Amino acid sequence: MSVQDILAAENELTHMLGAQQAVVLSTRVRLARNLSGFPFPGWAKPAQRKEIANRCIDAFTKLPRFKKAHVFKMGDLPDMERAVLVERHLVSKELAAGKSGAAVISRDQTCSVMINEEDHIRLQVVKAGWHLRGTWNIAEQLDEALGASLGLAFSDRLGFLTACPTNVGTGLRASAMVHLPGLCLAGHIEKVSRALNQDGLAVRGWLGEGTEAAGNIFQISNQQTLGLSEDAIMKHLGTWIKSLVEQEWNARRKLAAEEGPRFVDRIARSLGVLRSAYLLSSAESMNMLSHLRMACDMGCLPEANRHVIDRLMIEGQPAHVQSRRGEELDSDGRDMRRAASIREALSAFPEVGSPTA
Amino acid sequence: MSKPLQCSVCDAVATVHLTQITQGKVHKMHYCEACANKGGAGDAAVFQLADVVTAATTVAPAIVCPTCQFSDVDFRRSGRLGCPDCWPVFLEALDGLLAKVQHQVQHIGRAPNGTLALGQIRHRLQVAQGAIAKAIADEDYEAAARLRDEIAQLSAQLPTE
Ligand SMILES: [Zn+2]
Ligand SMILES: [Zn+2]
Repeated sequence: MSVQDILAAENELTHMLGAQQAVVLSTRVRLARNLSGFPFPGWAKPAQRKEIANRCIDAFTKLPRFKKAHVFKMGDLPDMERAVLVERHLVSKELAAGKSGAAVISRDQTCSVMINEEDHIRLQVVKAGWHLRGTWNIAEQLDEALGASLGLAFSDRLGFLTACPTNVGTGLRASAMVHLPGLCLAGHIEKVSRALNQDGLAVRGWLGEGTEAAGNIFQISNQQTLGLSEDAIMKHLGTWIKSLVEQEWNARRKLAAEEGPRFVDRIARSLGVLRSAYLLSSAESMNMLSHLRMACDMGCLPEANRHVIDRLMIEGQPAHVQSRRGEELDSDGRDMRRAASIREALSAFPEVGSPTA
Repeated sequence: MSKPLQCSVCDAVATVHLTQITQGKVHKMHYCEACANKGGAGDAAVFQLADVVTAATTVAPAIVCPTCQFSDVDFRRSGRLGCPDCWPVFLEALDGLLAKVQHQVQHIGRAPNGTLALGQIRHRLQVAQGAIAKAIADEDYEAAARLRDEIAQLSAQLPTE
């Protein structure tokens, strides 16, 4: 069992197994949980961490959702494979760096667990598109099963006890990965991000990228975890995401109407470059792929092509490019391989048309 | 695109943006992933966390968890606690901090095994009691009856005092 299986397998985010959508790329729910009677991972002795990992791996691999799951011990994986898991958002940079943590990942990659990261258990459920309820329902089921098989640290006043005060209570971090090229092009993104911040939501860029908004993709999540019910946290996020999607569509339509042929030209140029470039950096390709994704949403390109774009965004990340090639590559080598796979994937794309949506 | 914001610690491009609201004032904080993680943020406002705790604990005598020997000095360094038992031990020292990052200090979400935590039962009771008063005022007796059942059911789950 290796990370190559993760790369090769058809899965939720790269093969459109879940329902795919304009604007919202994916929905994610994360629960922080700890076993009672053990120090948190950062304070536990190696033997205790081992015991914790054994108990957690045992509990999770017995659950139907984790049937035949991948179990990865960070210490056993080469750097490159750990980097692939980070780029897939299946493990955090911290878990990958620590070497004493482990990850259990379901076959379809929708459910994953980090063990011995900051908390004993970080359970994550992800779905393509905007499906907060569906995502939550799975997380809740898993949490219930977990509560029955492992003694979880909990107090009536503070809820689920976590290593860090920013996660205590529900331990819930609900988030959406949103694609906002319209708001970025219109210059409204800072204003929107400020409004989100002021209403208790955190805004981050696409993980692993040097720029704040590579691909115009942002992750929006709740900050408060205590004193709100899970329901209230999700409703709050949901209200904002709904409004963001509306604002994004308004910005796109306004832009398309105002720019006319120049709007289509921007997309056509991106397709042209992506289809013929010999070297493509990660940042450049992300931003051009972002134009194409918007084009699929708006009918300038067939909507059925959108999942290809999503896959290229994920597979264009540095560790993915190198792992597929099976060797370490320098920057030029990566840019060459990235360009080659994008060229191939886009060769069958039709010409760009005028927006219909 | 406008110029990306810089990390307020190391001048790298900031990808983590935090909003702190202190005494009605909003402070924007920007960090690169590395500094945010180093600060122990992972998710949120731990930079300020560490400061608050330093202020709160430098005057107080050292706090040590009897279960795991974790102390306030360790917390100042890491921004994390040592074990679940640290929570009651550190709660008083963390109270101001919790109010700051979480705004609330009473859990009202799920409890293990899908049962409702006491806080959530009380919270739901409060909501239902408000709603029943309104339903009666609006002469919506069907809703009032439903709420009365809900209140009875919730009350039964509270420990007798
Ligand atoms: Zn920095
Ligand atoms: Zn302790």
